[in-house]
Amino acid sequence: MSDKATTVPAAAKQGLKAWLLSNSPGSMAHARCQRMYLNWLVFSANPIAMAGLLIIGALVLGATFAPLLTSGDGIEQHLADRLQPPSAEHWFGTDELGRDVYERIIWGSRITLYIVGLVGIIVAPLGLIIGIIAGYVGGWVDNVLMRVTDIFLAFPRLILALAFVAALGPGLENAVFAIAITTWSPFARIARAETLTIRKSEFIMAAQVQGASTTRILLSHIMPLCASSIIVRLTLDMAGIILVAAGLGFLGLGAQPPLPEWGAMISTGRQFLIDQWWVPTIPGIAILVVSMGFNLLGDGLRDVLDPRSGH
Amino acid sequence: MIRVENLAITFGTGRNAVQAVRGVSFHVKEGESFGLVGESGSGKSTVLRAIAGLHSHWTGRIEVDGVALGPKRPRAFRKLLQMVFQDPYGSLHPRHTVDHILKEPLAIHGFGDREARILKALDEVGLGAEFRFRYPHQLSGGQRQRIAIARALILEPRVVVLDEPTSALDVSVQAEILNLLAQLRKEHGLTYIMVSHNLAVVAHQCERIAVMNRGNFVEQMTDRQLRTGTPTHGYTRQLLVASKGFDRDAIAGFVEFE
Amino acid sequence: MAGDALLVVEDLRVSFDTPKGVVEAVRGIDFELGQERLGIVGESGSGKSQTGRAILRLISGNGRIAAKRMEFDGIDLLNASERRMRSIRGNRISMIMQDPQYSLNPVMTVGTQIAEAYRVHSKAGKREAKERALAMLETVRIREPEKVYNLYPHEVSGGMGQRIMIAMMLIPDPDLLIADEPTSALDVTVQLQVLALLDDMVRQRGMGLILISHDLNLVASFCDRVLVMYGGRIMETLDAKALHEARHPYTRGLLNCLPQLDGSHGELPVLKRDPAWLEAGGGAP
Repeated sequence: MSDKATTVPAAAKQGLKAWLLSNSPGSMAHARCQRMYLNWLVFSANPIAMAGLLIIGALVLGATFAPLLTSGDGIEQHLADRLQPPSAEHWFGTDELGRDVYERIIWGSRITLYIVGLVGIIVAPLGLIIGIIAGYVGGWVDNVLMRVTDIFLAFPRLILALAFVAALGPGLENAVFAIAITTWSPFARIARAETLTIRKSEFIMAAQVQGASTTRILLSHIMPLCASSIIVRLTLDMAGIILVAAGLGFLGLGAQPPLPEWGAMISTGRQFLIDQWWVPTIPGIAILVVSMGFNLLGDGLRDVLDPRSGH
Repeated sequence: MIRVENLAITFGTGRNAVQAVRGVSFHVKEGESFGLVGESGSGKSTVLRAIAGLHSHWTGRIEVDGVALGPKRPRAFRKLLQMVFQDPYGSLHPRHTVDHILKEPLAIHGFGDREARILKALDEVGLGAEFRFRYPHQLSGGQRQRIAIARALILEPRVVVLDEPTSALDVSVQAEILNLLAQLRKEHGLTYIMVSHNLAVVAHQCERIAVMNRGNFVEQMTDRQLRTGTPTHGYTRQLLVASKGFDRDAIAGFVEFE
Repeated sequence: MAGDALLVVEDLRVSFDTPKGVVEAVRGIDFELGQERLGIVGESGSGKSQTGRAILRLISGNGRIAAKRMEFDGIDLLNASERRMRSIRGNRISMIMQDPQYSLNPVMTVGTQIAEAYRVHSKAGKREAKERALAMLETVRIREPEKVYNLYPHEVSGGMGQRIMIAMMLIPDPDLLIADEPTSALDVTVQLQVLALLDDMVRQRGMGLILISHDLNLVASFCDRVLVMYGGRIMETLDAKALHEARHPYTRGLLNCLPQLDGSHGELPVLKRDPAWLEAGGGAP
């Protein structure tokens, strides 16, 4: 940052804004808030990213406030009302067992969120840790870890997930486990690649000269720098995760009926595609919209978090 | 204080082996400032890094404060010798605040009284407490280098090795940092080994100077010898001429030294 | 100082829009260039690089260029269409940059790049371009040009990379060369050898040269005239030979704060920045 270029403030900064933009933070918390605010400014300037945030925000809100947004639980059957088209009473119509499709979508969002959340929490840290250890320590450790990664990377995702579910039995948790197993490998590779570059930096050498232990260097120096790429990759992978979950659900291997999992809804509804299009199509659209939302969010995050974009 | 004998460092193996340093020997007395000058590829930074413990594959003998060193450095060594790096944009972690950067060495070595030490370190390098929670990208080049110096000094070492500490800085900022380094050396009785490609900087800062080319010491001289313009080796003379600016006739006489 | 000015710049301003407000990198500078060597010296943030880029309208996305006049050989550079600018860049005005590792395309051989530079601005075929490229490599004093032709940028040293860059930029025979810190990444002996090469090329072809650098002494020993920039403005314009008679306190301050080779260890006089220098006409003698 140059001292000599002249900065003309766009408007007088006062109060909170001044606190957020001041040049001399008074504490760690203050400094962190400032960084988050500046990141937010960049993020919110990107309309596509904001669209992604909106969609995912809607997903989270829908899942959280499901009881408030629906009158039923999406599971009770009303056979008299089966296969009704969308109307004022049933916004998305009803399915073959008389259940309101709108309600099932809302309750299904909980399942979607559950799946992506659980998978994300497992694969991101796992891949990150394996990757940074392999990248920093090198030698035979690197070799072993990367061969393990390669093995998991070599299998087509859905097939491997199928194999695991077949072995462990159908069910939501097993589906999550199977998806996680097949998803973590690319993260390890990304983390390792970043670590290989970071490892040569002078600040790492400075830490070594100060006597920092390998653990400290990995956790305090390398991990924060890899975390952004991992987060971005995770959001971009979300779409894939959702689709694999939907695929498993479609094959009857994921969430079991009567749970309103979107993929399962497509599967059971597909025989009605021609005459009662809303039964399989609406969940399909939901999957599409949420996947796209994650993609847009991931793109926006990458613009904010990518150190190469000059922030 | 520091004694180096026959230090040799080779990178790579077999056909790709490159001899970066080919057997150099020198010593530095306590409180002295020793300069290593050379162009790129001369091996000067490699020597420094070997002394600081960043390379483990060297042969020869390195002695600091009477203790012969092996490939790994003991903990206590870190409190004896610290390093300042060239690139102020690269030697500070981009996601760490100044406070974190200065606190880390204290945490590693279990120093108490951290608040006071951090404030004192900032003060010694001429920065106020308002810099404490800034991130490196909110600092100018000169300020970053001051933080790097503060970080090196916070463990109270007796030897500081400096790898091109001002090469990446503007000329006016360089003057401030050179003055700061000289002042700190006097105040704390430090021993310096300074590496630079800039003959004027080294001539100004150091009492004894060694000139390196392609892994060898070409000559060692004192500041007085440089002042009176009496380097003996052709390479040093060529370097001196080149440092003075563009002179068409002189350039015509430049040769490659092996 | 030529009778017929090659480049005329009047009140050039370059500014950038950033989330924190408008940053003015260049704040109203005037200068003229004939068939001479002009040095623009300044520290980081002085606006010297942006000046060089503004002439070629190579300012990045969120930047804006404004000027009362920016003319090259009668062509209005400020308002010329992008297509016109493309025919000027690399053809009539060329630019060499600091680090050949970054300014050469890493996936093409150096010879191909030089040949391409030739073909972009002429109708030459592949073989003629290759011959011209080889001839150019010889002109920049590279031994074994056939061998070097097939090397990749990462396989050549810094000094050689800059010579290749010079070959590439001079092959279309431009009238003006802008060199932005062309030697800062090089060893001092190599720096001078590259400058000597530039010296020859400029003399032989009757080109104008703008040398942008932070090294006041180097520029003063090489160029005919020197502009000293600070804070986006020109502090002083000098004849290079008269450098040590500089009158502006900034220039004097810069000269004084350099460590000398005579081995003295005294405290270096520190440049005191006068805020008046940032004002319009601040302190300019």
